Amino acid sequence: MIEAEKLGFRYGGADWIFRDHSFRLPRGAITAILGPNGRGKTTLLKCILGLIRPTEGRLVVDGVTGYVPQNLQSPFPYKTFDIVLMGRARHIGFFRHPTRADHDAARDAMARLSILDLADRPFDRLSAGQQQLALIARALASRCDLLVLDEPASALDFRNQAKVLQALARLSDETGLTVVFTTHAPQHALSIAQSALLMFGGSTYRHGSVDATVTDENLEALYEIPVRNLSFQHDGRNVRTVAPVLV
Amino acid sequence: MSMRKRSKPGLKRLRQTVATARIAACAIVAATSLCAAAMADPGVQFKDQQGRDITLKKPAERVVTIPIPAASTFIAIDGKTDRLVGMHERSKTAIMDGILGKIFPKAKDIPSDIVGKGFAPNVEAILAVRPDLVFQWANLGDEVVKPMTNAGLTVATFNYGTEELSQGWISIMGTVLGRPEKAKALIDWHNAERAVLEKKMAGLPKNKKPRVLFFLRVLSELRVAGDGTYNDFYIGLAGGRNAAKEVTKFKVVNAEQVVAWNPDVILLTAHEHKSRPEDVYNNPVFAGLSAVKNKRVYKVPLGGYRWDPPSQESPLMWKWLTKVVHPGMLKDDLRAEMVEKYRFIYGHDLTDDEIDSILLLGINKAQANYSQFARK
Amino acid sequence: MSAATETPDRIGAGARLPRYALWGGAVAVLAVCAAYSLGVGRYPISFERVYGILVSHLVPIDTFWSVSDQRVVELIRAPRVLLAVLAGTGLAVAGATLQGVFRNPLVGPQIIGVSSGAAFGGALAILLFSGTSAILGLAVAFGLAAIALVYWMSRIAGRNPVLMLVLSGVVVSAFFAALIALIKYVADPDDKLPAIVFWLMGSFATATFEKLALVAPPIVVASLLLFAMRFRINVLSLGDEEAEGLGVRVEASRWFAILCVTVITASVVAAAGIVGWVGLVVPHLARMVVGPDHRLLIPASALVGGVYLLVIDDVARVATASEIPLGVITALIGAPVFAILLRKTQGSGWKHD
Repeated sequence: MIEAEKLGFRYGGADWIFRDHSFRLPRGAITAILGPNGRGKTTLLKCILGLIRPTEGRLVVDGVTGYVPQNLQSPFPYKTFDIVLMGRARHIGFFRHPTRADHDAARDAMARLSILDLADRPFDRLSAGQQQLALIARALASRCDLLVLDEPASALDFRNQAKVLQALARLSDETGLTVVFTTHAPQHALSIAQSALLMFGGSTYRHGSVDATVTDENLEALYEIPVRNLSFQHDGRNVRTVAPVLV
Repeated sequence: MSMRKRSKPGLKRLRQTVATARIAACAIVAATSLCAAAMADPGVQFKDQQGRDITLKKPAERVVTIPIPAASTFIAIDGKTDRLVGMHERSKTAIMDGILGKIFPKAKDIPSDIVGKGFAPNVEAILAVRPDLVFQWANLGDEVVKPMTNAGLTVATFNYGTEELSQGWISIMGTVLGRPEKAKALIDWHNAERAVLEKKMAGLPKNKKPRVLFFLRVLSELRVAGDGTYNDFYIGLAGGRNAAKEVTKFKVVNAEQVVAWNPDVILLTAHEHKSRPEDVYNNPVFAGLSAVKNKRVYKVPLGGYRWDPPSQESPLMWKWLTKVVHPGMLKDDLRAEMVEKYRFIYGHDLTDDEIDSILLLGINKAQANYSQFARK
Repeated sequence: MSAATETPDRIGAGARLPRYALWGGAVAVLAVCAAYSLGVGRYPISFERVYGILVSHLVPIDTFWSVSDQRVVELIRAPRVLLAVLAGTGLAVAGATLQGVFRNPLVGPQIIGVSSGAAFGGALAILLFSGTSAILGLAVAFGLAAIALVYWMSRIAGRNPVLMLVLSGVVVSAFFAALIALIKYVADPDDKLPAIVFWLMGSFATATFEKLALVAPPIVVASLLLFAMRFRINVLSLGDEEAEGLGVRVEASRWFAILCVTVITASVVAAAGIVGWVGLVVPHLARMVVGPDHRLLIPASALVGGVYLLVIDDVARVATASEIPLGVITALIGAPVFAILLRKTQGSGWKHD
């Protein structure tokens, strides 16, 4: 789905944000990109989305990407439905306007995420979690093959984190959507991802299955504090999470 | 009796001594009174139009004029251009374009680079012509005066726009140039003419006073002379009513306002070189105006100076306008009077062609009632 | 199913009819204002005569008005009213577009240097040539030149970030303002200079049908193009990265919109000099009524802008005998209106924290 070969990026003559990254993100899977702030996660995401061009290396993205930003930048208080509708922009010509089909696609996307009741509310009046779901719905409405999310659950409280992660998991299950998201919380990766890419900065990275890469050693190297994998039983299943040793 | 023999030569010597003493005494007295006279002589003293006291040791021999109309006033008082050593560039073009350029061709050699844009003086150029006195505008602030006074020049300032101020120019110029009699004669002429016209128009009822509109600009915009302008003054003097009375000073109006005023007579200034009565006649918006229907659009004459602003020739303008506004009311012969006055003011005998040119006969003869100004 | 999820562009029944009625009503208000404006002016003409004159063009009727009446209505008021409406709608649409594209409420056509460039072009045309086509041609040419300069100045690494665009606009405006001052300096003070100064201050007083014939097509065409782009402007208003992520070519779309804004602004400047504050204030007024969705905002701005500038011009030409420059009035009215708007709505129509 996404194939990178010796990918690297830097601004002008500055230091390399990341370099020599080669990986293959599988189709239909959920991949988490892990790393502390400032190691290039968002930059890599922008390369995948085609917003910036890599300085060196080769990047092949097979399919249409749908971008879900962390929050909305626009100063206008659009209705939530109008925000989701804008996801159809890719399919609407320069001078054209959303048709009934576009409206249906937007409605379907919202229904799939169970937020249809939010349609008429101004977007900026929604809770952070609802907003994130609406932005996911927008990306869905564009009928993308690959959902790319920038820190989707990072600024949310537990309940909203759960909502968003569950929605992503369900989407991937039900529709075979490929999902790539960045996060600085390894438990997000453990909850829903199958593969993980750990960015240590410079030319250092690890890529592989979540089990193989999200290890205590890797996490400690990544976050420079001790982190322990934990698991416990809940409702008859094994729940995995991580605990950082903060103090 | 040898004493008598001795007193005869003594008496003669005494007489000689007394005579010498008398001569010496006379000489001393004469010398003293001359000195006294010299010390008591005030030279030239006057107040400029900002109330400043200006003193010159004697009438000026070298004068620079910055206000544009002042050069023409100067020439009117002096009757020649020798003592004018610098003037505004636009004064020169005004002179060379008009009759004064023909009467005084040497005026073209007078330096006119003495002013920058906006009446700011070029002090070094002015110093180079060594003037005794410089005339400058009073209403532009100190920045256009101080650079000259700082350089040691004597500066007298003028205000502009009314008959009183205009007579002030004439009077001051007369004092400065040592020609007070000529100045007085001009002023007396102004006052006499004004009195005659005021008397004539005193009993005229309002409905017999045509509406007169003066355009300061008619091509690039419609700028009219409202209440408080010199044009307003002489429109009243000529027995008319200023159509633009409801605005003050010079204001821009739109075409509809002009139609609403419906002037009977329209005057265009010579200042806007390209304007012609046809510009008003051909404007379809003005088709219904009384002045257009009756072909009473005139361009104001251009004599020693333009006749529309105040000048030494203003009484000619008043007479011209009265004859335009009320044809037949004045029996005076304007052409004859122009000849007489130009002889007095400029020492020049106007030819018929020159009079035609001043009165803009070429442009104005197609308008109503202008044949009264044609040569006999 | 709520009204927001219905397709606003499709003709339907029942719940959609009131919306069309609203738009129709707004257009009717504009038409009524225009018709009324034909009846007001310094020269008194009764309404019967005004409409008699208008009707006489469709149906021959007996003349019961004077020549002056007819000339005033047909040659002074009619082109002036049309120009005011055209300029008002054009500038409002341009302003709404710029505010959406730049995601900034303080943006109007002056910001990106277009007004100054067009003003310089017009002043140059007055100085060197005569006639409205020269003014229009040079105004558009230099409006585009100003925009090209802004584009070149604000380009970083292949993109034009909004902040750089605004800053470059300020610099380019200052540059052309200096050039205009130079023109005023060299212009002949007897005829060219007053013409330039008068024109720069803004006025519809010189409106004629010849002028309208020249400036109406570019204004109408560019406005219609922006109207057709209104959904895309929604997407652009999300921000460059999001819009790109949604599959929109941001640079191309933005520059096309700016091009249309330039044509409109330059055309209005060519016809009437600098008329400010309309593109800034009217979109805010419209946003208060219809909200931020540009599919509604663009046409709403057009209608509000037409009425707004028409009413202001009516006041300008009737209030006093002398003609007050339009730019002065739009600023005197626009600034306090803007202040009141901001206070009343406390910035709603825009998100606030």
